[in-house]
Amino acid sequence: MLQTVLDARPAEEIVAGREQMLAAYRFMLLARLLDDKFAALYRAGKIHGGVFLGRGQEALSVAVGLTLKRSDVFAPLIRDAAGRLAFGETILDGVRTYLGSALGPMRGRDGNIHRGRPREGLLPMISHLGAMISVVNGMLLARRFKKISGTVGAACVGDGATSTGSFHEAINQAAVEKLPLVLVVANNQYAYSTPTSRQFACDSLEEKAVGYGIEVQSVDGTDLSACLKIIGEAVSRARAGAGPQMVVAQLLRLCGHGEHDPANYVDPKLKNSPLGRDCLKVAEEFLLRQKWADESQFAVWRSAAQHEIEEAVAQVQREPSPDPFVEEWRAISTERLGEMHRENES
Amino acid sequence: MKADAGITYLDAIREAQAHALRDDPRVFIYGQDVGAFGGAFKATKNLAQEFPGRVLDSPISEDAMMGLAVGTAIEGLRPIIEMQFADFSTVGFNQIVNQAATLFWRTNIPCPITVRLPFGGTSGSGPFHSQCIEAIYAHYPGLIVLTPATVEDAYSMLLEAIALDDPVIFCEHKFLYYHLKAEKLPSEALPIGKARIAREGRDLTIVTYSAMVHEALEAARELSSEGWEIEVVDLRSVKPLDTDTVVASVARTGKLLCVGEAWPWGGVTAEIVARVTGEGYGLLDAPPQRLNAKDTPVPYHPNLWAAHRPTARSVAAAARNLLRQ
Amino acid sequence: MPQLGESIAEANIVAFLVKPGDNVVADQNLIEIETNKATMTVTSPCSGKIEKFSAQLNESYAVGAVLGQIEATKEEAARLGLDVASSKISDTDRVSKPDGNGSHTRVQPTVRGLPVPANAAGASYLSPRLKARMTELGLSAADLSGVAGSGAAGRVTVEDFEKFIAQLEKQKTSDASSMRVAVADAMRRSWTRPIAHVGMPVCLDPLFAFRKIARPKPGPALCALRALAVALAENRKPAGRLVGSKIVHPSAIDIGFAVEAEDGVLVPVIRDADKKLLKDLITPYNELVELARERKLPVNATGGSIATVTNFGTFGLEWATPIPLPEQTLVLGMGAARHEPRWDSSKGQFVPVMEANLTLSFDHRVLDGGAAGRLLQRVSELMSKPDQL
Repeated sequence: MLQTVLDARPAEEIVAGREQMLAAYRFMLLARLLDDKFAALYRAGKIHGGVFLGRGQEALSVAVGLTLKRSDVFAPLIRDAAGRLAFGETILDGVRTYLGSALGPMRGRDGNIHRGRPREGLLPMISHLGAMISVVNGMLLARRFKKISGTVGAACVGDGATSTGSFHEAINQAAVEKLPLVLVVANNQYAYSTPTSRQFACDSLEEKAVGYGIEVQSVDGTDLSACLKIIGEAVSRARAGAGPQMVVAQLLRLCGHGEHDPANYVDPKLKNSPLGRDCLKVAEEFLLRQKWADESQFAVWRSAAQHEIEEAVAQVQREPSPDPFVEEWRAISTERLGEMHRENES
Repeated sequence: MKADAGITYLDAIREAQAHALRDDPRVFIYGQDVGAFGGAFKATKNLAQEFPGRVLDSPISEDAMMGLAVGTAIEGLRPIIEMQFADFSTVGFNQIVNQAATLFWRTNIPCPITVRLPFGGTSGSGPFHSQCIEAIYAHYPGLIVLTPATVEDAYSMLLEAIALDDPVIFCEHKFLYYHLKAEKLPSEALPIGKARIAREGRDLTIVTYSAMVHEALEAARELSSEGWEIEVVDLRSVKPLDTDTVVASVARTGKLLCVGEAWPWGGVTAEIVARVTGEGYGLLDAPPQRLNAKDTPVPYHPNLWAAHRPTARSVAAAARNLLRQ
Repeated sequence: MPQLGESIAEANIVAFLVKPGDNVVADQNLIEIETNKATMTVTSPCSGKIEKFSAQLNESYAVGAVLGQIEATKEEAARLGLDVASSKISDTDRVSKPDGNGSHTRVQPTVRGLPVPANAAGASYLSPRLKARMTELGLSAADLSGVAGSGAAGRVTVEDFEKFIAQLEKQKTSDASSMRVAVADAMRRSWTRPIAHVGMPVCLDPLFAFRKIARPKPGPALCALRALAVALAENRKPAGRLVGSKIVHPSAIDIGFAVEAEDGVLVPVIRDADKKLLKDLITPYNELVELARERKLPVNATGGSIATVTNFGTFGLEWATPIPLPEQTLVLGMGAARHEPRWDSSKGQFVPVMEANLTLSFDHRVLDGGAAGRLLQRVSELMSKPDQL
């Protein structure tokens, strides 16, 4: 029920302030509960492969997803459950991909967070970090070719991805082509077990922007209202033609790299610092202080979200898995050029 | 301007691109130095001028070039990416094999990109301007790999490649660029996926592709004067590989020699031998043989380079060995 | 047991956080487990009552192992979609049928005992293509003995072969009868063994004298057959068969004898020839000869013999080197009877003696000249007392 109410509204209706904060909070809550569900399913042995959560990053993520228009392009990182939902991805898409349903967008051919709907602007990542940014560039360039104006493309990456060659090449490319790219770097202090001290030598990731000749802003990733403001500005500037925009957010990863990872390497000092604040709690406190919501409201929303998630899971548990004997084992779209190898015939 | 009449292999490639740009507004070209400069080999000469805004210069970023290509393809455009040398495509290898080649399989959205690779050796090019890496791309599912050997095929296969909705690795042989000429461009052609009998024969089949087709034809001429008639099969496309035509040829001759300019381990020649042995075992009157480049990087000095790869001479010698079996 | 992380296959049960009979809710922590990397919990898939734990404290269990059972209501199971009965894993039975005995023999690669590799100098081979053509035409390597090979090391190439076939087609040919083809196949198979021959003359005077008074009259070939049967009953070894490194002993002394039938040879069999006296063999023998000539031999009248007797003397041949049947080691042959002068030392002169050559052709892998000679000696000895056969 939550989903349809929010899907119906075009993004422009959410104005800064109360409505936007409430909508954002509800997506964060939904994302948090959905992540918890995936974690529980993982511990119950129901999920093949890895589970990657976004606990602690919901504020930044939802800011991106909510600010973008449905006609924009979004390449999320693995921890962007909140942003995906805000952008318009359904709970079912996530649940189906995690549970390997043949009805999911990836049809069992890829799993967990490797999902998306490219023609609808939501890119399904490949595992190589930084690789999706130039794909966003391409989509923006194509729209320019097709004389579609006013599009923005957002690519979210973590601190780890900033070390890759594809990150470097892609930003440079976006800058040279002056594309409306918004590059959001969620510096959650760790790339798997690698702390930022082993990831880069410059004082801050913002310094990289100078090298590329692009604008950059910093934001406290734990503060929802700050995220909404800064992301909003970056997206507006990009949309207005100011070229690529970088936003670097500081926050702390509040889960393992994956659910298989207990993350004992995280510095406890960080956990106890302001960086380690839970953005969901911070948002709740803000809403309570502003008197834009109260505890009973939170409980109602929580329960509704929980219910929606459980219904989705129950539905998907009944759905078929892909059948290897029915599967079309062809990797190219042109049928007549597909090679038939004797060993593939069964 | 030279007075030779005739269309070179390179002219054919340029013509095909011009036709594609003209006929399909979704087509554009992206690569280093392809714009005003017309490309390192002049494969896009004058195209930027004729089609403003559709032939773009890229920074030296093969990874980003390929990612961008996939992004434009998702949006329905049909990019032609010119790699300056096949040897540099490996910088963008990840995007080619993991992004472009998996898009359709993972999302059911086709990826109509064409990656043009100037490949193969010319004297003095050295290890990083000579490589033949078609086998590595062919190994990945989701890619079509083409190796035209003639001016006509360079033209018609590139046109067909651009029109295909799948990622095509189009291997253009640098030596053939200026050395091969034809009188005119073809009006019809064999489709991609079909091999061509470049020379009919009776005693032995040579299966090869690209520049090696010409070495094989030269070797066949030499052997003809000794009373042997060699059949030469030009694969044209490495993937898909036209096993039927190859096996039918071995059915006629009973002897198979696969020739490739690439390195021995797991190359196209190995793939052919595997298929013919598996599907045409009872057709072989002698063990199938391969002739490849030596298993070292491509050397720079012309003496070394000439010995490194198969030549008409070494092809004829290998054929004679097999004929004497 | 849930998935535990990359490359971890099992975990240890550290503590049970609830007990059988407890009511639990979905996602509640039930069991504490430990791997060498971390401590984790196993959570409940639904609300319900713990029925039992099958896992035990301090034991390790693999990922996927069942650790316990929860009793839940139908509604609860439906709510969480756990009422789906069938497994979501694809039916692996369809991938391949498992072996009957489930074991896979490991092949030990070895070059011992293998023929020389085909491309080694000095070796020749029948190429796959040639073999395919030969199969097509129903030919074997023996049929190619007349083909000179023009390939390396004298190899018969497909070209040589096709020329040979083309030549044949130019010559007048007729179809070989099925009898001919069968005999050809038997002889070809027999010839894969090293066959040797020995012979000695046997005096037939006692036999001819016996025949004057015997009724009915036994023929020389039947005498030889009976004598062979008695000799083999005394010592079966010469009729054994070599298979690999084992000698297969003959069970019954069944002896066959060759009868010329149109375009070939039939071999009817006298069963247990050692247990029947010569006089009792005459009638069955004559019957079998008639049946053979008329091609009306019943199925059980042929096959299973351990040796064969052939009377090539009926064609006027004095000497011959028959080839044993492929499944037998011995063939005893008898040549035409004739008068020969033999020195009689008691009379101090040559006297005429009725003689025929007795030959033994044998698989030289099973016996040597000595044993062959002794067998013939014994047969000859037995034939010199036909009234005792």
